[in-house]
Amino acid sequence: MRAIAIARVSIRRIVRDRTALFFIVVLPVIVILIVGAAERGFTTFRVGVVDLGAGQAGRQLTTAFEHSSDLAVSRYATLAALRKAVARGELNVGVVLPSGMDVTEGRGGTVAVGVMAEQANSSQQAAATAVSSVIAGQGAKVQAARFASVHGPGTFEENLARAGSLQPHVAQVGLRSQTADSSHNVLPEGFSYSAPTMLVFFVFLNALAAGASIIETRQLGMYERMTAGPVRRGTIIAGKTLAYFTMALLQATLIVVVGGVAFGVSWGDPLAATVLVALWALVGAGAGMLSGTLFHTPEQASAIGPTAGIALGMLGGCMWPLAIVSSTMRQIGHLTPQA
Amino acid sequence: MRNALVIAHKDLRQRLRDRSAIVLGLVAPLAIAALMSVAFKGSDTFHFTMGVVDVDRGPVAAGLLKALDAPGLRQIVTVKTIASKRSAADAVRAKSVAAALVVPAGFSASIEGGDPLSLVTLTSVNQTVAGDITSSIATSFIAQLNADRLSVATALAAGVPTSQSAHLEALAAGFQIPERAVQRSIGAHKLKTISYYSPGMAIFFLLFTISFTARSFFVDRAQGMIERIRAAPVRPLEILAGKAMSVLVYGVASLGTVAVITSAAFGANWGAPAAAALLGLAMVVAVVCVTALVMCIARTQRQAEGISSIAVFGLALLGGNFIFLSSSPPVMRTVALFTPNGWAMRGFTDLSTIGGGLGTVAEPVLAILAFSVVAGSAAALLARRAVAA
Repeated sequence: MRAIAIARVSIRRIVRDRTALFFIVVLPVIVILIVGAAERGFTTFRVGVVDLGAGQAGRQLTTAFEHSSDLAVSRYATLAALRKAVARGELNVGVVLPSGMDVTEGRGGTVAVGVMAEQANSSQQAAATAVSSVIAGQGAKVQAARFASVHGPGTFEENLARAGSLQPHVAQVGLRSQTADSSHNVLPEGFSYSAPTMLVFFVFLNALAAGASIIETRQLGMYERMTAGPVRRGTIIAGKTLAYFTMALLQATLIVVVGGVAFGVSWGDPLAATVLVALWALVGAGAGMLSGTLFHTPEQASAIGPTAGIALGMLGGCMWPLAIVSSTMRQIGHLTPQA
Repeated sequence: MRNALVIAHKDLRQRLRDRSAIVLGLVAPLAIAALMSVAFKGSDTFHFTMGVVDVDRGPVAAGLLKALDAPGLRQIVTVKTIASKRSAADAVRAKSVAAALVVPAGFSASIEGGDPLSLVTLTSVNQTVAGDITSSIATSFIAQLNADRLSVATALAAGVPTSQSAHLEALAAGFQIPERAVQRSIGAHKLKTISYYSPGMAIFFLLFTISFTARSFFVDRAQGMIERIRAAPVRPLEILAGKAMSVLVYGVASLGTVAVITSAAFGANWGAPAAAALLGLAMVVAVVCVTALVMCIARTQRQAEGISSIAVFGLALLGGNFIFLSSSPPVMRTVALFTPNGWAMRGFTDLSTIGGGLGTVAEPVLAILAFSVVAGSAAALLARRAVAA
């Protein structure tokens, strides 16, 4: 009973602290929003196009890009600006329309359309695939027009128009994609990734930071004064732990509710999710108590606590999916409770 | 000026005695950078094994197998022949291949007819890059087949007799699509994870200086230290300048040490030293100004701790120290440019990828200094009130 009273006082102190409330309530929601938006799988690829003087053929290809539902096209005035945007990662892929595209095609030559994308970058490769398909579709019409002009009647321009109108009606060799392994062992992109990872990250981080309040209370001699009364040390520890557990549980519940309602995150089986969330709140409470016990000054708790929390979060897959790190790092990551 | 230097010297000595300053300024960013370096070691290159099932055994399938053996593809893909589609699906599930490409029976024969068959890719939801690249390779191969079919259809539509379609098909096979996507160099270094997050983490922990300095100012004030200093011929602005200078020296030392160690030990690319130093210095100046502003706005130690904590995490999140913001929606990239660290991250990203020198960082440095002027001016206006309170 006394433990509950101690817990109630501790919780009241935390709730009155507006900074603590910011970290418990506001910050996790903002982070879910930012990380979720940054990690979200885009429905369209961002493509930058620079025209170095390609003429009519270049304009037609740009129009074909713009008509593709997979691509969001931005035009760039210079090659340097396009390069900078791709290098910064602002674009998934950059397309360079070479000068004299019209002349080259008219002479029967092959036009090399430059595509800037990194081979090891999945979204850039997927974007390059989408861009290549549009280029191939446009090129197919040119090939058809050239072929028909060489081996049949009509000018190149007439046959180009003919090929364009025929293309949607000629049965295509297709590509069917089948998923052999439909069971996800990695988190999906977007808010479904950011909400659970930020729950794990922030509940732990806030609990570690909250250890500073134990140190401050200890420095003020409050615990000693409490033990002068009929209160055992175990009761104080139980009360503090209960307070930390309650706060961690409240924060986790808030993230679950906001994630589910505002961002449409699926948390899976309710019972299993509840058990997991409660268990994680217990881990948070333990981390807070450990921080308050191990560190001697609030400054130590504020300096080492966040560092340890961020490091464990990184190792455990809160900052990036463990699927993208080496198998050794994945195994090491699973030594942390976060993973 | 001398008074400010004395105060700065005293603050620095006090700070260096506190081990938490060393942890935040040096140990933490280095530990996190080391962690990132190890975590992403080997992830800068990508190679996977692709299963190929040739049930067709016709000439078109042979052409596909030949295309898969091209020297350029060998750097990315190792091809493994698998007998059946079912075995290929099992192999994908067992992770012995990352993805598979199936050429169905009768594929070659169907190409010349009116209802061509499709190639099939078998992918795993957990190996999306390999799946994307497999689709990319298949799409490139199919594009030529479809161009040939369109060529024949166009020639027939133009008036060539249908009786010649077999002849046309043979001729079309010798043509090549005259517009090709060719991989072009970005003309910039690849942005390595360690090169982004080394400055990211160094700046993030530098921001903690705001909390520490503001806290120490209010502790000094509570202990009557500020009043005692004011009893001497020291102007309020000199007290603030002294505090600010200690932040400047601490910040430069922290950022510089992290830059040198992460470059030497983990291969982080901070760019040209002079440009990186200028950018780092501008960022430290911004931190000094924000610190001064927090000290002037807050009225109590508790308020100072609250405002600075919110400033630290707010700036770090919006500026992209935690999250690679370049691939986020444009609105978030725009918001980042309202923060000094957002400009610093953009500058360090450009230095690491595009390269160049002082010209590359001119715009970010000017933007950070503009931010500093605004924050610093506001602090100067409020300085008398803060010190007198």
